[in-house]
Amino acid sequence: MDTSTANASIVAIATHGDRSAFENLFRQFAPRLKTYFLRCGVSQSVADDLAQEAMLILWRKAALFDPCKASAATWIFTIARNLFIDAIRHDRRPSFDPLDPAFVPDVEPSVESELIRAQSEAQIREIVKSLPAGQREILQLSFFANQSHSLIAKRLDVPIGTVKSRVRLALRRMRGRLKP
Amino acid sequence: MIAHHPRGDMLLAYAAGNVSAAVALILATHLTLCPRCRASLSRAEAIGGALLENLRPTPVSAGVFDRLDHQLKRAGLAVETDSHQSVRNEATPAPLRFYLNGTLDQVRWISIAPGLAYRPVIADRSGARLVRSGPGRGIATHTHRGEEFSLVLAGGYTDSSGHYLPGDFQAADRSLTHRPIADDDADCVILTVTDASLSFSNPIAGLIAKLIGC
Repeated sequence: MDTSTANASIVAIATHGDRSAFENLFRQFAPRLKTYFLRCGVSQSVADDLAQEAMLILWRKAALFDPCKASAATWIFTIARNLFIDAIRHDRRPSFDPLDPAFVPDVEPSVESELIRAQSEAQIREIVKSLPAGQREILQLSFFANQSHSLIAKRLDVPIGTVKSRVRLALRRMRGRLKP
Repeated sequence: MIAHHPRGDMLLAYAAGNVSAAVALILATHLTLCPRCRASLSRAEAIGGALLENLRPTPVSAGVFDRLDHQLKRAGLAVETDSHQSVRNEATPAPLRFYLNGTLDQVRWISIAPGLAYRPVIADRSGARLVRSGPGRGIATHTHRGEEFSLVLAGGYTDSSGHYLPGDFQAADRSLTHRPIADDDADCVILTVTDASLSFSNPIAGLIAKLIGC
């Protein structure tokens, strides 16, 4: 499923409660959400429950999704992250609110900054996608599970030197492709 | 114009969901005031989205979709609409207002010395509090275990590293001579957070943050 299809599917849920759009999103994202929650350290059955809950939140909050602000995958990631913090860590995650009267808006025209944002997001997606699986897996463990080199090495059962060299290669590759 | 910003690896850790509520509070308050850091956060969250998209799928158990389908039928087609109401004429950023249960000018200060008062905001593994210093006074925070973060909310202060005004963010550790003195024209109010857990001393996150320009 490409980004524009995923974006359009969420919008279709928001505008007319489109069940088949939801089913397509479920097929695409529920199994990845499950992997995400497993990476966060919960059991198989809890990961199922959390994936289910995240998809329900997606349905309920579809009207809040704004494709100009983030892609579907990024928005769904933030749902999963917030759900994990709330349901498993029993913690809060304060965030800013664009409707807050104290909110200081961007001085740049919003069309321009949205365009820049969309371009840099597309670029980030391309780079991550193009990484070899082994390098990407380490970034996933580092980002999602906040694990250090040594924990990642233990988890993947590879020497720590391999982890370090994969990180180095991944970053070099990303740097080469990231336009300034 | 805000001159001092949180480090990229902190924003990345916040995007990933790897910080305590107190650290999230001080970052969210800064983000309310700082468009530049909001753009960095968008990039960091885009990394999260791209990594999620590329995770190896794990089959969900057979009952999950049916249960969801059932819940959706019960909920009908009614998706929530954005019923958000905001309060007008408010200078205290919303993340902080939530914890204070009011605005900055309603804070009940606890005086600890002449010209120095504080107010606890969150007491968790990090701990967040407000500190208010009179004009020209030293801002005594406390001994630094791990890292300490400050965000200026009113007035300003100076230490050996520079001058800090409302919206400015500072991270100080024990290696820094951090003896802030409040500007002599007004009270200085800061939000401080200590984080002994050092949750973002994640070297990989630091490198990614640098790479995507956070």
